[in-house]
Amino acid sequence: MKSPIYIFLFLVSGFVFQSCETKINPILETADPILVVDAWVTNKPGKQTIILAKSQAYFDNTLPPPVSGAVVTVTNDQNKVFLFNEDVAKPGNYVWKPVGSEVFGVIGNSYKLSVQAEGEKYEATSHMGPVSKVDTIKFKKNESTQQNPDFYRAEFLAKDVIGRGDTYWIRTYKNGIYLNKPSEINIAYDAGFNAGGSFFSRVEKTTDGRDTTIFVDFIPPIRGRINPNDKDANDKSVSPYVPGDSVYVEINSITVAAFNYLNQVSIQTNRPGGFSELFARPIANVSTNIVNINPNGKRALGFFNVAAVTGLGQKFNK
Amino acid sequence: MRFLLTAFLSLSFSIISLSQNKFTISGYMKDAANGEALIGATVYIKETGTGGITNEYGFYSITLPPSNYNLHYSYVGYAPVSKGVELAKNERIDIELTPEAEQLQEVVVQAEIEQANVQNLEMSTNKLDIKTIQRIPSFLGEADLIRSLQLLPGVSTVGEGASGFNVRGGSVGQNLILLDEAPVYNSSHLLGFFSVFNPDAVKDVKLYKGAIPARYGGRLSSLLDVRMKEGNSKKMEVTGGIGTIFSRIAVEGPLIKDKASFIVAVRRSYIDILATPFVKLLQDGGALNFYDITLKANYNINPKNRVYVSGYFGRDNFKFDKNQGFSWGNATSTLRWNHIFNDRLFSNFTAVYSNYDYSLQFGRDEKDSFKWNSLISNYILKPQFTYFINSNNELNFGAEAIYYNFQPANAVGVSNGVSTDVSIPKKYNLETSLYVSNSQKISHTFSVDYGLRYSFFNSYGPDSTYTYSTEVPGTRRVPISVKQYKSGEVIASYGNFEPRLSFKIQATPTSSLKGSYNRMVQYLHLISNTTASNPLDVWNPSSQNIKPQLSDQYTLGWFKDLGSARQFEMSVEGYLRYNQNQVDYINGASLLINRYLEGDLLSGQGRAYGLETYFQKKTGRLTGWISYTLAKTELKVDGINRNDWYPTRYNQTHNLKIAAFYEINKRWSFSANFVYTSGTPATFPTSRYISQGILIPYNANDSRNNVTLPAYHRLDISFRLEGKKTKNGKERKNTDYWVFGIYNLYARQNPFSIYFSQSDSRVPQGQAISSQATQLSIIGSLVPSISYNFKF
Repeated sequence: MKSPIYIFLFLVSGFVFQSCETKINPILETADPILVVDAWVTNKPGKQTIILAKSQAYFDNTLPPPVSGAVVTVTNDQNKVFLFNEDVAKPGNYVWKPVGSEVFGVIGNSYKLSVQAEGEKYEATSHMGPVSKVDTIKFKKNESTQQNPDFYRAEFLAKDVIGRGDTYWIRTYKNGIYLNKPSEINIAYDAGFNAGGSFFSRVEKTTDGRDTTIFVDFIPPIRGRINPNDKDANDKSVSPYVPGDSVYVEINSITVAAFNYLNQVSIQTNRPGGFSELFARPIANVSTNIVNINPNGKRALGFFNVAAVTGLGQKFNK
Repeated sequence: MRFLLTAFLSLSFSIISLSQNKFTISGYMKDAANGEALIGATVYIKETGTGGITNEYGFYSITLPPSNYNLHYSYVGYAPVSKGVELAKNERIDIELTPEAEQLQEVVVQAEIEQANVQNLEMSTNKLDIKTIQRIPSFLGEADLIRSLQLLPGVSTVGEGASGFNVRGGSVGQNLILLDEAPVYNSSHLLGFFSVFNPDAVKDVKLYKGAIPARYGGRLSSLLDVRMKEGNSKKMEVTGGIGTIFSRIAVEGPLIKDKASFIVAVRRSYIDILATPFVKLLQDGGALNFYDITLKANYNINPKNRVYVSGYFGRDNFKFDKNQGFSWGNATSTLRWNHIFNDRLFSNFTAVYSNYDYSLQFGRDEKDSFKWNSLISNYILKPQFTYFINSNNELNFGAEAIYYNFQPANAVGVSNGVSTDVSIPKKYNLETSLYVSNSQKISHTFSVDYGLRYSFFNSYGPDSTYTYSTEVPGTRRVPISVKQYKSGEVIASYGNFEPRLSFKIQATPTSSLKGSYNRMVQYLHLISNTTASNPLDVWNPSSQNIKPQLSDQYTLGWFKDLGSARQFEMSVEGYLRYNQNQVDYINGASLLINRYLEGDLLSGQGRAYGLETYFQKKTGRLTGWISYTLAKTELKVDGINRNDWYPTRYNQTHNLKIAAFYEINKRWSFSANFVYTSGTPATFPTSRYISQGILIPYNANDSRNNVTLPAYHRLDISFRLEGKKTKNGKERKNTDYWVFGIYNLYARQNPFSIYFSQSDSRVPQGQAISSQATQLSIIGSLVPSISYNFKF
């Protein structure tokens, strides 16, 4: 124990502990194009559009080729048929136009999509579930940190509909532009993330035997996922909102199958890279509810959902 | 059960009756310098050409007819001792061997030297001496047990940052890691960069990859048996070190000289202590640290009784502020009592408590918060007996009972003032086993070890079990009915026989052929569907819906010693494994805080085969080994990969490792290791499509792991400088050394994964989206390190 100074004599060597990412162009297996049905219709006023297109080679960075000349209809449980006609100006876009103040769909009804394209017939079903309303939207200043000095983030409050198994897709528009990055997909199973999580609005017995309704707000990660993830030219994050911006938050009721679909889309597409790859899941195909009525026929991709929608806008005034 | 008992009794009696009019030589073998028991040391009897090997506690026993014998006691790295015995009664001979200190320090890997002649049936095992581990160039200069293991044949990893290790095509969760008999459920600090074992407190590490003895069970792939030091029973000693990431200190010494000793070893990362003045987060209650404490004491009550108590406590803490963060850790404690009933019957009674838990906490205030913890804890009782029947038979028998308490999630979320308890019911299980095995030398050239283990697993209420719908394979099954069970009610039971068999044919004095078959059963499942396993992974017991995993392994190997002093050793081993009830996951599986987890699990079968070759030079100035493994591991699960076989995420075709140690002179030494492995598999898409403005990758062939990533290779080096032995002409009391190392010397950017995504920029609706592929390397450059180590 002669030289305790030894103990303190050390060098903190170059502490290189950084991951590194490179863009690459691997050669991929090839595959035939497949029909993609993008059919998310809502009870929002105005026309409804269903898009038919083809899948592409993975590194084909052009617009997807449209599928023209298809017959697209949606039928409700009273056998009412909604006809979607192809937009001449936009091939592959099939549009239903309301007559007068007519809206598409009623909460509680079931719907069947039928697509006849390229000699095959596909079907899908959906159900319009109840939806809750957005109560408030607030803007908050982040506690400043070294990385993010003055950030304003938005948060909304909304309550789950009573009962288990209500599923939602929260879509956000900043200054009228829909936030469509994979990292911005915001879905809720009741007020939480999954069926087994048990955050849901419910009726409970009080100690004296009366029924009491407990409304549960969406949990904080869902409430806060209405902020755009944008970076400036120097690859630094920018404040999601600045005074003067406006935000519009829309809640869409979706089926449990649609929730599973969007959950898979989020897992497969939201890849922030870096150390998060340690926790990444293997690539797997996202499911679909578009079924070829001929089991031996060509398959299709995409999804059909009929949503009830509510929304609330808020301008950020400092 | 009855079968077992009858078999055991008839076996014992038939053998015992053969062993009349003989006497026994027994005792302990120890290190003369510090009193540590020597595990796997050899006693060789010149006259009979037979011998014995010390067990995990350093005990040996040999029974022979009365005569004069010359006993030769030896252990690699120690000066051998010879002793003549006139055997006319039972003899107790405790031997202390002196380390060959003045010899150039050599690396010791397998203590198989001089054992070719004796009754060593073991195959598919690797022993790593802690001195070797300390010489392997390591990441950030921190000697690491798990990372050292990865240099052995048949052992692999998916990459830097991944917890644990893979053995012979098994998953990380199929390894049983025992620290002084206590299971360790997560072997990593800081994800997978460092392992939880403090090298200063570890004595001996042995990895069983196959031919696992009947006294062990519970996991399919391997058993990693880590034995702690007992503590120097001769004199007080302090060892320690300062490295790039950890500071370590260990104190050991006698409590009563030669009768009782202890060791206390502590490690802590200290980057946060250095960084606190500069990082506001750390001043505000944030934390980033990991530490572990290892304790052990033993008391030699009398020549027939010895007790050991050991404990481990380790923790990783990551906190963003006072109220938010994440922490995890293991705690184990073991109480053992060695009792020698008579010269030939050695027994050990073990009681263990082990716990692994993690907790997370989020939320800015009381109105919105989320607190979640999860744990697995168990209590184990394990009586074990070794009966040294005669020099040709060694009978092992015993039992084990493990009581598990699983708490998959205790979680409470508060959303805008409304609190919801989202906890998952706790699970209670009991795993009991009985085993018996005999190691028998049939002739000078032929030995066999045959054994049987019977394991029984029960899950008890209170709990609810769900019956799930049948769906297209590969998609989520939903609960359709529920059944409640009361406290103590049996929900599900499983029982399995696990036969174990191995043999050795001594072809020549320096070569042998060994083979084995064994069945392993695993009742716990590590639930993880991420690329690398991580601290949040939950362990789930077998249940009504999850069947126990089974594995049958066949091995065949050829072992040869070469050279005038048998300084070279080589082996070739092949293995074949068939696994049943392997767990996989649906796409989009929700594994955390999900009471319907079982509906997201898939079950399938697995197979793995490989050839391991190993060549080692054990003595001289240049020592080291070359290991090459050719292997394949696959799964077949309905609903994945068109229901066809696919390679697992940790499949590696080629796996080459070279470790070399060279003594430059008395003070300087050089170590290097080189690793080359085939890339691990990955799934690449064929196509892309757009849904709601998002670009989705798609594999039109429904393939899983259809591509192999580029190969992984890396060279690490280190120099070790021994401190001066003398100062001012006098011998120094303390010793010390510096280690200067470079990890990933030629700065290879090894791919950990390749992922596919749409470009990061925001694309207005209706415009084309670009796709991209990104290759990620966890370690992007070379990593230098320096550490100072001392002992006084």
